[in-house]
Amino acid sequence: MNTLSYIIYLLLTWFITVHVGLIFYRNGKGYILNLLHGEEKLTLFINRTLLTGYYLLNLGYVTITIRFWKPVHTWTEVVSSICTMTGKIMCILAIIHFCNMAILLFISHRHENTNTNNKNIIL
Amino acid sequence: MNTSLTFVAYTIYLPIVIFLTWYVAHILFKNSKIFMQDIFNGKTDIAFSTNKLFETGFYLLNLGFALIIMEITRNITDSQTMLEILSTKIGGFSIYLGIMLFFNLYLFFRGRRISKQKARTIDTYTPASYGGK
Repeated sequence: MNTLSYIIYLLLTWFITVHVGLIFYRNGKGYILNLLHGEEKLTLFINRTLLTGYYLLNLGYVTITIRFWKPVHTWTEVVSSICTMTGKIMCILAIIHFCNMAILLFISHRHENTNTNNKNIIL
Repeated sequence: MNTSLTFVAYTIYLPIVIFLTWYVAHILFKNSKIFMQDIFNGKTDIAFSTNKLFETGFYLLNLGFALIIMEITRNITDSQTMLEILSTKIGGFSIYLGIMLFFNLYLFFRGRRISKQKARTIDTYTPASYGGK
């Protein structure tokens, strides 16, 4: 029973992680491009590095959580444990995601501020 | 008997919760594109990707929360208890979802106000540099 739930859990969480990572990868490009004022190569490199780091971190964590699994005996326990663990992973992903967006926002604000300061000095 | 009733409760709870989350996110983020375009002054690609990122975050957070609160620890003896527990869980989740919805709306309105203010200050104070580098 435990092995079965591990397999279902791993399939589910890996699918979610990879899917979400791809969405971030595609949509985050515009941001980084904006920050770096359109340097294509550097953007591509940074984006790919970020994606790899994200996969390593999350898939690693997902796989580690199997160690803390309670023994399950019935189908109900299988469903409830899988759902609780997946829920935790999804919440962690969401929190990391929002932190990332906040950091990006902060960096772009600072960028804007320095830009306007430079403009004022030039003016 | 107990186990199977708990299982039935899970199978009722999961589709309802997933449908609710999908519906709310669908309505919210279909209509937020206009806000996003306002916030980013018509930069369509960045506006749409921000929208998509927020949508993904919304799904992750709410579905994750729904799955975390799913576990029923009490022993279910009859269908009445099951219905009571289910209604408490689903009702609580709906209220949470409503709060998240209004919080998101507040964020959109705030972003729109700030970006309009910024545009106005640029217009009034430095008309020469507007549209420059």
